[in-house]
Amino acid sequence: MSDATLTLTPSESVITPHAEVNGHDPKMLISMRNIWKTYQMGTESVHALHGVSFDIPRGEYIAIIGPSGSGKSTLMNLIGCLDTATQGEYWLNGKNVSEMDDDELARIRNQEVGFVFQTFNLLARATALHNVELPLIYGGVGASQRHDMAKKALQSVDLTERMTHKPNELSGGQRQRVAIARALVNHPSILLADEPTGALDSHTSMEIMDLFERLHSEGNTIIVVTHEHDIAERAHRVISIRDGQIEKDERIR
Amino acid sequence: MFFVLLRGQQSLSLFRLAAIWEAFRVATASLRANKLRTALTLVGIIVGVTAVIAVVTIIKGLDQTVAQTFSSQGSTVFTISKNPQIIKSREEFIKSNRRKDVTHEDAEAIARTCTACWRVGIAANAVETVKYNDQKAENVRIRGVDPITMFDIDGVSINVGRIWTESEGASGREICVIGPDMLKNLFNDAPADRAVGQEIRIDGRPYLVLGVLEPLGSIFGFSRDNVVYIPYSTYQKAYGGRRSLVVFIQVHKTDQLESAEDQVRTVMRNRRGHLIGNTDDEGFALETQDVFLNLYGSATSNIYLVTIGVAAISLVVGGIVVMNIMLVSVTERTKEIGIRKAIGARRKDILTQFLIEAVTVTAIGGAIGVGTGFGLAYIISALIGFPLLVSVASAVLGVGVSSAVGIISGLWPAWRAAKLDPIEALRAE
Repeated sequence: MSDATLTLTPSESVITPHAEVNGHDPKMLISMRNIWKTYQMGTESVHALHGVSFDIPRGEYIAIIGPSGSGKSTLMNLIGCLDTATQGEYWLNGKNVSEMDDDELARIRNQEVGFVFQTFNLLARATALHNVELPLIYGGVGASQRHDMAKKALQSVDLTERMTHKPNELSGGQRQRVAIARALVNHPSILLADEPTGALDSHTSMEIMDLFERLHSEGNTIIVVTHEHDIAERAHRVISIRDGQIEKDERIR
Repeated sequence: MFFVLLRGQQSLSLFRLAAIWEAFRVATASLRANKLRTALTLVGIIVGVTAVIAVVTIIKGLDQTVAQTFSSQGSTVFTISKNPQIIKSREEFIKSNRRKDVTHEDAEAIARTCTACWRVGIAANAVETVKYNDQKAENVRIRGVDPITMFDIDGVSINVGRIWTESEGASGREICVIGPDMLKNLFNDAPADRAVGQEIRIDGRPYLVLGVLEPLGSIFGFSRDNVVYIPYSTYQKAYGGRRSLVVFIQVHKTDQLESAEDQVRTVMRNRRGHLIGNTDDEGFALETQDVFLNLYGSATSNIYLVTIGVAAISLVVGGIVVMNIMLVSVTERTKEIGIRKAIGARRKDILTQFLIEAVTVTAIGGAIGVGTGFGLAYIISALIGFPLLVSVASAVLGVGVSSAVGIISGLWPAWRAAKLDPIEALRAE
């Protein structure tokens, strides 16, 4: 399957220098191998991603940057297991995600991925604590352990005193910190943030980015998807996407 | 490998419980948050369940009343008469009219020879106007009975006063025991002991009131208490001995009924000996109370089915309301579904969540509907005049059926929610 792709479009596949073309590197947390994402628009095929490959080792702090329409949202959806690639292999924490069905993907999202969204995406009617508990509920964690873990997660983002508040009683920064606590509560392999400061003022943005930095120093693997360069520059490695391909993949720190 | 398997199973059972509880919590929160929508859904289900429960309850009440009426004499009683009490055809009517009258002698012969019979009595009825001073009661059933065990066979008992003694009963004296309706119609609702010792007039003849019966109530608006019991000897004197009477036979236990019927049939065939060889007719009618119940059952069962069917249609309409509102609910909460899916909810979690929401609201609606249904049945039964039968079974049935309606009508909306694409769902506002 991937052979056919390679012969069709050999010049378009971009392979990072340290990648192995066949199979994945077991040392890597994330291995993407020649990933294609094709959408069918009527009779026309639109390639959102063509032949993207990269590796991310455990504990890295990465920014994926690109203008809108570059394919970075598609890539984020694939990394976060919200979607599967049309072609190619994706290994996450030793598991071949590319061949999983809907429910298996849900399990991976629950166990391996912590999402942080631009618009926070908290449940409006639930308290901060309950929002943070939600991944544990779907993960089958018992009630008392769930409370403890959720409280600890809220503690780690300095929201201990706001646990019983609902999202509309919290500021934007506080809401995003609840979302981060929710993302972290299951101890996922990756923290995947999509424009995490897009809805925040610059001061609060800095606070959130400081928090990411701290979480990274505590050993978390963080992937931030953004179109803002000053946000991307806080990361240690930046992958630039343009026209569905990796344009640049550089270590900046 | 073993460890992985074990861990997988363990987390599965825990997972289901936690997810179902979460689904229930979310369902109730969402129902509280959308009060108007919840109210509309509830109304849809309440109307349906109310209709079904009211209809079923009224029907059960009617059935019970009928069954009780016929079995106040009990399923241990059967009768011998000239004309069957239910005549099904013109031929039967003509045939039975040609028969010999059933007489006091027939009853005595039965009492003498039937070893399986417990009580044997005779009764004959007339309808008369009864008067007390200037008070008048019309269309009163005058029941001449003998011996006084006929009161037991009829299933009536004395409330105030007494029944006549055997010797009084044989004397042909004008004495009587009145049904409670007489108090109302003749004595201005006076207490029963005021009527005892008074003299009433039946067909112009004076009768001394010895006692008042316990009320039996009414059926289909016809009072069973509009009656005056008099001794058969007195009845014969007043109305002549030529009228055919009915012999009532009671056995101790239902299982003796068959042998008693056989014995009585033999006795009666012997006494109607001149008809032997005439295979067309045995010359008398032997009937149990089942005759009435069977006739009643066959006459009403189709009506009941249609009535329940009509009521059930409103439940179907209620189900469609639920489905509609669940679809709205799913559309409104697309974003929430996306969030839940993003953080690891599986299809069946979302499916369960919306199913539980549908079942919760329909079960609550069902419970309220059971209440209003019983209420409606109460009002109607009070108006018609028969006892209300509140059965736990129909309450359970009402809630059960409405829950089933919830599952059925919630399934499609819930399935639509479950298979939403998380990316699309997250994009929704």
